[in-house]
Amino acid sequence: MAVATEAKAVSPRRRESLAGAKVREALVGYAFVAIPMGFFLLFFIFPVGYAIYISFFDWGLLGKIEYLGLQNYKDLIHDKAFWTWPPHIHAASENSAFWNTAYYTAVVVPTQMALGLALALAVNAKIRGRTFFRAAYYFPSLTSSAAITAVAIYILNSGGVLNAILSKIEGHTVRTPWFGESGTALESIMGLNVWTTSGTMMLFYLATLQSIPTDVYEAAAIDGASRWRIFSKITFPLLKPGHFFVAVLSVIGCLKIFDQAFIVSAGKGGPAYSTETAVLYLYQTAIFDQYWGYAAAIGVVLFAIIFLITLVQRLLFGKAEIGY
Amino acid sequence: MGAQPEAVARPERRLAETPWRKAGAAGGRLVLYGLLVVVALFYLLPFFWGVSTSFKTLPESVQGFDLIPNHPTLDGYRTAFTTGPFARYAMNSAIFAVSTTLTNLFLCTLGGYAFARLRFPLREPLFLLVLATLMIPDQMRLVPMFQILADFPLFHWNLIATYQGYILIHLIYATNLFLMRQYFLTIPKDYEEAAKLDSAGFFKTYWKVMLPLAGPAIAAITILSFQGTWNDFYWQLILLQDDSKFTLNVGIAQFTTSGGYGHDWPPLMAVSTIAIAPVALIYLVFQRYFIAGVTTAGVKG
Repeated sequence: MAVATEAKAVSPRRRESLAGAKVREALVGYAFVAIPMGFFLLFFIFPVGYAIYISFFDWGLLGKIEYLGLQNYKDLIHDKAFWTWPPHIHAASENSAFWNTAYYTAVVVPTQMALGLALALAVNAKIRGRTFFRAAYYFPSLTSSAAITAVAIYILNSGGVLNAILSKIEGHTVRTPWFGESGTALESIMGLNVWTTSGTMMLFYLATLQSIPTDVYEAAAIDGASRWRIFSKITFPLLKPGHFFVAVLSVIGCLKIFDQAFIVSAGKGGPAYSTETAVLYLYQTAIFDQYWGYAAAIGVVLFAIIFLITLVQRLLFGKAEIGY
Repeated sequence: MGAQPEAVARPERRLAETPWRKAGAAGGRLVLYGLLVVVALFYLLPFFWGVSTSFKTLPESVQGFDLIPNHPTLDGYRTAFTTGPFARYAMNSAIFAVSTTLTNLFLCTLGGYAFARLRFPLREPLFLLVLATLMIPDQMRLVPMFQILADFPLFHWNLIATYQGYILIHLIYATNLFLMRQYFLTIPKDYEEAAKLDSAGFFKTYWKVMLPLAGPAIAAITILSFQGTWNDFYWQLILLQDDSKFTLNVGIAQFTTSGGYGHDWPPLMAVSTIAIAPVALIYLVFQRYFIAGVTTAGVKG
């Protein structure tokens, strides 16, 4: 009733009020997103430009000291602590942040993906207690990296549980300080992180697995295809979006490796720079050495590398998709 | 000629295979179970060991590795939390986690509602900008963020090692804003139409109509925000360079590094247990929201 009278009353005024309502809606909209947009502009978008700007300077804690142009980047190319050419991995005194990170990534990404997929396939099977198994495998993924590294230090120390078990198996006393030797420190961090993050990869694979329509499997089962055939010819290819997503996530996560390397080496990247990672090097340059301009340049290079790898992966997986 | 014999052969083969297959399936199932259990032990045992050690005496912690302490004691907890500074660190962790959870809850639901429902120019580009921030690595932000907080633009505040500074840069997690917007988009518009006829304002519609309908998404972002801040190590380490502001995570790093490798295990494991416990408990109770949140946030993230 009220609506009818309003419509009859004055149509020009109503049109005006409609326009007014639109403006009001827009203003309210801006008001509601004002704080988030201000936040993202100041703390995310602006810092990208600011980082690039700072990277052109010799910059101290309190601001710019001297304009250097591209000097920071040139220095980085010749910085043996950051990277060396030809690459050295595990040549004690030749460990460099870049190659340590590359080596770490090259080992962890495939291991993590394979384990994540295997776990996803296992807990996707129709079995009793799969909710429990799923929860158990995901559990390390959700805990504090500092706390879990402390637990790992306890288990892997020279008098720890792992060595006790190894001693029993080998029949003589084993006292390897896993995080304390340059030949095993980085590998121990690899193991630690494969363990703590494979559950996350499992979840993403599981989400993709469950999006595959079941009639595809039914058709294959009627044809009498073997399990391996079903997996290799149907499941694996259909998981392609999952592969891409997990690969990107895993690579980016690996390139950012920091917390564990910092904690096991007291921030020093030792022993013999074996746990020196790119981000740890960036941290040391900024916080310990106060070379903020140089640290900014390292940050920009890292961003460029991460961005490029994401692009290449997208291209590779995109092409494979066309092939099918 | 090719098709005919096969059609005949098929049922025969099936008959021959069925008992085999059944036995094979049962055996396979058993093997699968065995594997799943072993792997589960592998994933969980380290935690049991850690928790168990937190209740041991120092001598026992380095001698045997029994899962049940022979002489259970709270000495480890006392050393860390009563004599040591960890009560304060735990308090700081809680202050940061709770306050950033509250700011995320308010700002992400309000912003998510606006991005999902209100029409205003540039809405889509602005939202894309929010998503684009997910591609900016925290590592690149280390230097500029430190500089911004050391001398805050216009006001010249020094916010390093302050509660405000840390909370300020964690007001909003982009994934939470994304999650809320996606959820609001799935709510049928009829509900708001009813509110409009009542001539309720936009804020009232958000508060009285939309929020009560968004329970699962709100649960998910509550959990994700709390977990994100509670588990953060990177920004806590960089910004909270004053031991009155240390959190559990920074304290743990300090603890493990200060004494080299001769460690006092029971208190270290006590602190680690407390650092893991809140998120673990939330996970046990709200597993459903947890997993839904992680996969939705990640799919776009």
